[in-house]
Amino acid sequence: MAYFDLIILYCLKQLNGERTIYSVYHLLKGKKSAQTIQDAHLFSLTKFFGVFMTLTRSSLEEAVHSMSKQGYILQSELEPQHYTMTEKGNAFLELLLKERPLPVYLDGLKYHPLTQLVWERISILVQVVSNLVYQENKYIPIQKGKEIHQWLKNVLRKHSMDRAEIGKKLFNELTSCLERGEGLNPLVLSLRLTGHQIIGLTSMQAADELKMERTAYHIEFLNLLHFLIQDLEKNPESYSILTDLLMETDPSLVLTLSSRKTYELLQRGIPFEKLPSIRRLKKSTIEDHIVEIALNVKDFSIHSFVKKEVQGEIIGAAKSSPTRQLKTIRESVPQANYFEIRLVLAKLGE
Amino acid sequence: MELEKILYQYFGYSYFKPGQKEVITSILEKKHTLAMLPTGTGKSLCYQFPGYLLEGAVLIISPLLSLMQDQVDQMMKMGEKRVIALNSFLSQEEKRYAMNHLDQYKFIFISPEMVNSDWVVNRLQDIKVSLFAVDEAHCISQWGYDFRPDYLKLGELRKKLGNPITLALTATATEKVREDILNSLGLSNANRVVTTVDRPNIALVVEKWNRYNEKFDRLFQLVQELQPPGIIYFSSKKVADQTASFLRGKGVGRVMAYHGGMEQEQRILVQQQFLNGQLDIICATSAFGMGVNKDNIRYVVHFHMPLQLESYLQEVGRAGRDKGPSVAILLYVPGDEQLPFQLAEGELPSSAQLDWFFSSLKSNPDFLKENSTISPDLRKMGGFTEVQWRLVEDFLSVHLIEGIPLELIRDKMKRFVEERLASKHTNIFKMKTWIDSAECRRLNILQYFNENGDTQITPSQCCDICGVNLQNYESRVPQEGEKEEYLMWKGFLRKLLINESAPK
Ligand SMILES: [Zn+2]
Repeated sequence: MAYFDLIILYCLKQLNGERTIYSVYHLLKGKKSAQTIQDAHLFSLTKFFGVFMTLTRSSLEEAVHSMSKQGYILQSELEPQHYTMTEKGNAFLELLLKERPLPVYLDGLKYHPLTQLVWERISILVQVVSNLVYQENKYIPIQKGKEIHQWLKNVLRKHSMDRAEIGKKLFNELTSCLERGEGLNPLVLSLRLTGHQIIGLTSMQAADELKMERTAYHIEFLNLLHFLIQDLEKNPESYSILTDLLMETDPSLVLTLSSRKTYELLQRGIPFEKLPSIRRLKKSTIEDHIVEIALNVKDFSIHSFVKKEVQGEIIGAAKSSPTRQLKTIRESVPQANYFEIRLVLAKLGE
Repeated sequence: MELEKILYQYFGYSYFKPGQKEVITSILEKKHTLAMLPTGTGKSLCYQFPGYLLEGAVLIISPLLSLMQDQVDQMMKMGEKRVIALNSFLSQEEKRYAMNHLDQYKFIFISPEMVNSDWVVNRLQDIKVSLFAVDEAHCISQWGYDFRPDYLKLGELRKKLGNPITLALTATATEKVREDILNSLGLSNANRVVTTVDRPNIALVVEKWNRYNEKFDRLFQLVQELQPPGIIYFSSKKVADQTASFLRGKGVGRVMAYHGGMEQEQRILVQQQFLNGQLDIICATSAFGMGVNKDNIRYVVHFHMPLQLESYLQEVGRAGRDKGPSVAILLYVPGDEQLPFQLAEGELPSSAQLDWFFSSLKSNPDFLKENSTISPDLRKMGGFTEVQWRLVEDFLSVHLIEGIPLELIRDKMKRFVEERLASKHTNIFKMKTWIDSAECRRLNILQYFNENGDTQITPSQCCDICGVNLQNYESRVPQEGEKEEYLMWKGFLRKLLINESAPK
């Protein structure tokens, strides 16, 4: 079975027929809507958030169709966009997962916006340091973009040491990090790197070289980068150069543009009530923004939006309701509105 | 003053390539100059070199954003930091900074659409422009194969800048087009430096097959036999992709596709791999080649028929820059001219599209924004392709500035599109005539560019009509990859980051 189909099958199992197949589509594409983000938490699919940004509806439909034909999933009669696993499907998935366990470090929801940035930074850093080490200053940088070159300048200035020294240091940090990850194949990253007189492979070439399916390679590549980010976050003291890969990433950068504006206004102390008129948006839209902020910005406090005791009641109701459906929670905590419930759930998800 | 000395000092070359010295001398003598130099002869040197000897800035007008960026990268790479590209890629912030510090730059690249802004023109008027260089100058001519309406404004801009010394550069332009360039720029007496379009070390071959399958089989055979590296040109991204993966599947060397539909990072990697000798074959669309300076390309195959002899020659000219024996092979099956006709039509808006467009503009003036840009919604609604849209925008802005009413612009534009289409058709027929001709291919091309043909090339290295021997171009050197060390990740990283041979 193709690796892509495996992921779809896994997602459908997690959804358990409670959402349409298009919620899988939004999830894999990394749609930054409150609904999609909440679903990712609710059905424990945060891993796969945004891992296929170029996914098309038709390729998802095709995969679903083919698995339904093979009898792994069953279309719901009442709601044709909902599917549940068959017994055969469950057994098959279990077997597949034994053979190829899900990537351990992958965490799309948490790292999705950061991944591309970290990759661009690591690839340009290695290229530039490699050329420094070989005293070559005529080469075409593999990454364009002003910001990344500004970042690079800062990093090199910060570590203004002997060129041989910086090469050695980067080598030590990279190798010790890559060796720390369990079950990781460092070639997944190393083949992609460009340096002095050697140009890195494209994702497709690297997959072919490793005789991996392209989708499987792509997921493995993300898995490795997510491990790297986690390790840098956990052990910043072990890395003097690599920690700079995470330099100055504003937490609000992961927000959609519109939510970021709302966030900035809140940061400046503008009260919630005034936001709709300042931003000329509907109150419900502002509420969506705030839920998105709560989901994404770790130290964002929701106390000014929901009273503490109401928070406690919502949490209690959520814990006793297995599907965490808004409607059932609302019924048991009638004094809370939907916005407050969503906000508390957003914080609870972490 | 010995020019060669300066050449060595600034650029590290010992000799000029044909035509370069004549062009540079002409500019240094303060003469307007039209230069037709074949691709790969270092056209950019013609404006960079005088830049170092003249006081003031060199302004270079360049039509393609990617090409402009390549040029800037190359110059930066060579250590020239006083260079900037003014184009729509710049953020508002960057643009403002650049405009306020214009006098700090020696080389200013600018795309024609930037010239629409009075602000930009005013700032340019404040600095001293010592050389006004127009790259790809054939874009200024309605007879040229790549006409861009916004190039028409350049004559006006020249005047506003006080008629600076001007250099018009092109790789391929017929006599008619050359006349047109000089007229549009308002240059009545200009020096002309025209080098031959002939590339004696490249054999020109046309092979006719009866069916698509035969053509494809022949391509497969050719890439197995010919000495790489080589480029195969396609008119379709899809076919380029499919052929590349077919060839990879068959284990034919190291092959990748390259086209405008790929992500930027991939494009850079593939291009750099090819330059670095990590790839043998590129299956490309015409997007590949601009700014690719690789001198040992041994063959160029055209799987589809080019739209005109000019672009055919440009693409063929990427082979054999090292003067070594190289071959260009065009594969043809009856009916291949259909695709160029479709492509030519696809580049131009239809009459019905234009009617709809102008009536929408009329009934809803909000679509027309300040500084003559049009709301991109209209593009979507009218189903314009990117190329069509650029043409519409350019044409409209050029004529709106002159204060012409919309109806008149519409009629003018329709006439223009008709003429363009007719001219494109003529070009395709000329290409087809060349393919069908029973005369020496080389002489035929020279005649097209009004050159006297007296090339003395042995028939076995000239063309299929004269009796080329393709065995001359078959592979002798087996290609060897350096795989092993690649697959030891730690050793690979060590080699990348630790220079064992560096002095301690
Ligand atoms: Zn001949």
